[in-house]
Amino acid sequence: MSRSDVLVDADWVEAHRDDPHVVLVEVDEDTSAYDKGHIRGAVKIDWKKDLQDPVRRDFVDRVGFAKLLSERGISNDDTVILYGGNNNWFAAYAYWYFRLYGHENVKLLDGGRKKWELDSRELVTEVPQRSATSYQAQDQDRAIRAFRDEVVAAIGSKNLVDVRSPDEFAGRLLAPAHLPQEQAQRGGHVPTAKNVPWSKAAEDDGTFKSDDALRTLYGEAGVDFGTDTIAYCRIGERSAHTWFVLHELLGQPNVKNYDGSWTEYGSLVGVPIAVGDES
Amino acid sequence: MAAADQATAGGCGAPAGGAAITDAGSQAIVQGRVTSAGAPVQVGYARLLNSGGDFVAEVPLGDDGGFRFFAAPGDWTLRVLAPGGIRTDRTVTAATGEIRELEVTV
Repeated sequence: MSRSDVLVDADWVEAHRDDPHVVLVEVDEDTSAYDKGHIRGAVKIDWKKDLQDPVRRDFVDRVGFAKLLSERGISNDDTVILYGGNNNWFAAYAYWYFRLYGHENVKLLDGGRKKWELDSRELVTEVPQRSATSYQAQDQDRAIRAFRDEVVAAIGSKNLVDVRSPDEFAGRLLAPAHLPQEQAQRGGHVPTAKNVPWSKAAEDDGTFKSDDALRTLYGEAGVDFGTDTIAYCRIGERSAHTWFVLHELLGQPNVKNYDGSWTEYGSLVGVPIAVGDES
Repeated sequence: MAAADQATAGGCGAPAGGAAITDAGSQAIVQGRVTSAGAPVQVGYARLLNSGGDFVAEVPLGDDGGFRFFAAPGDWTLRVLAPGGIRTDRTVTAATGEIRELEVTV
């Protein structure tokens, strides 16, 4: 796996604008961003409405994902280019999600919507019309998704990477600072977890740092590259970004995203919790 | 979806301009507006850095150039990024139950 297998730049997107087998998909934390303007030809996936089960706390199932992609006009052999705001935060989550259901050809636009906007590239409001397809999703690849019992079992034996901000890690904040601090669960982190905020993997313009810089970042934080890793955050989106870095950019073999993350772990009865800045 | 709904429905979503205030009394709010030559900057990003200089959160600017963060009490740096290579930092001290208002011109 190399960068060119999983990342494209804006010039590549411009050059493949008319390729019918390349589908641009915008996935944003601000789900109204697409409606105000998007890259020409891009379709929208709403991370909440389209990707979450409306009743249970879980993802849409295999059939639901296939239905979504069929409606969006995405075929199994299409190359999907995902992009979004805020360092590709939710686009990286969608990337992990596409991989979870076995989509082969999926990449991120490096820098995402932010770099595109900061470079003053064109955004349009016209919504493309794509013909519906008969997309076939695979069963979830559980090799990249962790559940709570695996997290408890990993304490002291695997890398646990808490990718939230230092204040959330320590328990001083319960949510990212652009959201109201009104969660009910306990604050803190999984004991032995290393705190490497997800955003440290990105430059100010949202592009990913170099492989060398990334290895140094995680290595210096105490991540053992010879051991399996579980990444988590609050609800599993920021940690999907870190999963992308460790698994797709750095080629670490066994990396899972714990999408239950702190909102689940911090509400479990009887599990150990550490507070403060230390692991 | 209203910003407040998104913020309280378990999401990490960052609505443009920041989530609505639902209970200011328990929050340490940093908010404001970015303008250029008197007009709101509508394309750009506001990010909050902690006292160690680490990224904590980021929102796209609202149509009025606005942004809002729910911080913890203490010292923060607000960084504005906008097209044309604009990058401006402002320091701010947040306190629980108070709204710190910043007018940023670029």
